[in-house]
Amino acid sequence: MAYKPKPAPGSRRFSPLKFIGTVVVWLVTAFNLLVLYWLIAAAFKTPIEIFTKPFALPYTWFQRGVPFRNFEYAWNQAGFGEAVVSTVLLVGLATVVTVAISAPAAYALTRFGVRGAGGLTNVIAVGMGVPFQTVVIPLFVVLSKVHLDNIYGLFIVYVALSIPFTVFLLTGFFRSLPDELEEAAAIDGASATRTFFSVMLPLARGGLITALILNAIGLWNETLLAIVFLKDQAEFTLSRALFTFYGAASYQSEYGGLIAGVALVVLPMLLLYVVLARQIITGLTLGSGK
Amino acid sequence: MGAIAAHVGRKRRLFLPFLVPAMALYVAFLVLPTLATVVLSFTKWAGAGDTPKPNGVGNYQQLLNSEAFQFSFVNTLIYVFAGGVGTFVLAFLFTMVLRDMRGGKVVRAILFFPNIVAPVALGMFLGFVFKYQPHKQGLANFILTELGGTAQKFLAPDNVTWVVTASLIWASSGFFITILMAAVDNIPPYLYEDSDLAGASPWQKFTNITLPLTWDVIGVAGVLWTINALKIFELVFVLAGPGTYSPPNRAWTLGIFVFDRTFGSNGTPDFGAACACAVAMIVLVSVLVVALRRLMRRDALQY
Repeated sequence: MAYKPKPAPGSRRFSPLKFIGTVVVWLVTAFNLLVLYWLIAAAFKTPIEIFTKPFALPYTWFQRGVPFRNFEYAWNQAGFGEAVVSTVLLVGLATVVTVAISAPAAYALTRFGVRGAGGLTNVIAVGMGVPFQTVVIPLFVVLSKVHLDNIYGLFIVYVALSIPFTVFLLTGFFRSLPDELEEAAAIDGASATRTFFSVMLPLARGGLITALILNAIGLWNETLLAIVFLKDQAEFTLSRALFTFYGAASYQSEYGGLIAGVALVVLPMLLLYVVLARQIITGLTLGSGK
Repeated sequence: MGAIAAHVGRKRRLFLPFLVPAMALYVAFLVLPTLATVVLSFTKWAGAGDTPKPNGVGNYQQLLNSEAFQFSFVNTLIYVFAGGVGTFVLAFLFTMVLRDMRGGKVVRAILFFPNIVAPVALGMFLGFVFKYQPHKQGLANFILTELGGTAQKFLAPDNVTWVVTASLIWASSGFFITILMAAVDNIPPYLYEDSDLAGASPWQKFTNITLPLTWDVIGVAGVLWTINALKIFELVFVLAGPGTYSPPNRAWTLGIFVFDRTFGSNGTPDFGAACACAVAMIVLVSVLVVALRRLMRRDALQY
């Protein structure tokens, strides 16, 4: 817990800057809570309720005994049922494989004392700055030639493009570990591979979990590559399915169903966030502080 | 010590096996495609079914004369600069307030939340908030008319860039508050105590303590901002357009330009022009990041 200095008596003057700041902070916080309420409430409303009584609690669908009508509509019309399965599998596997490939690389780059490792780390970090748009055209052309313009191709692309950030994040964690344990393991006769798996990986657990969470959030929300690579609706991810659903539902003025669709994409992340907020925020600050 | 020396030797032998899978994917999916994009930007190529033909700098000349590209370029710069300044001012203001505020960590968690929402979902959601349609006004116009104002066409092509900028500042500030707060927490508290005793105002404390001591973190955060703002795509695409089709040129970003010329559903694809625009993106991000680092380094020496 951060230590807060107590102000000296009489030194706390009224400051207009601080006053404005406090007001703005509370306004924005209240606004965030309000829009979150609005999103969840609107997901249970009819279009008329959404537009004429935005702050009221939903009632029409409840009165008719079908409170989840909007969710059912979105689920059936947008094919979210299949999309949930695809997304969970794709994001879960891609995240695990990314970390499994990045962790040994980050370990080798930080702890082997090999000359030029620092330069290589920077080369990989530069990859974080490459916009997806710069690589997407050649990737699409080549992968569709070998018939990988589908969810399997997207999986490989997700893993490959997540590597720079993950390696960069994990090098920070491995660099901060003490040398002694590694040396002790060596003296006890553990092989280098064994040292990595049974000593260093458990020590870097915080970093690995952070890498898993941040990649999972990023890939769950990724849309551009999913639009490019997924043509078959049966393979759509949630955000990809929502993208298609948006056009159709707006056209039919199905605003309730549309907001329910948005909620279906957002709520799993909200739950994850409520459970893991502390881990996400501390992991992020550790990673960026390096 | 022999054990350790032997261990180090054995470890070195593992260097390649540990590194090669990550490096191979990096080279195959980032380095080579980037080079391919550069090469393709000098060809005329309509995409599938056509073969690339050498075209010199034709694509780049075409870009410079294209109204769509000019809009895309200017809008992207607006997001990077106006959005960046707004986000950092807000993030700093919030960091200073949250530091002394009870429940600051909870407030920070609430402010951070928009960062984990899919940009597509955020765009659709904001589309409802800023919707303009008589008798079906979105949240913003609902409040505006309740307060006695007149409804505004927030999402019209002329306004949408600024609405997106404001949304971007709102949505991203939580991320940068988090990073800046961690940096501020590392500042020794006695510096603030001393300045309190000396009767320093919050502004003096900010310019004399907080700013110089968080300078490096601000530099890193600035690079992150630039990288992310430059490739902005989904939020604008969904917010400014009908959703499945590209929005009007006036609202485009460089990311939308590349998408529209390759995978968009408007007109015939032009992979050559898209590659040239993608090259412009990576040149722009490199120039901005290098310039930012230069700027931050020179100023850092003053302290």
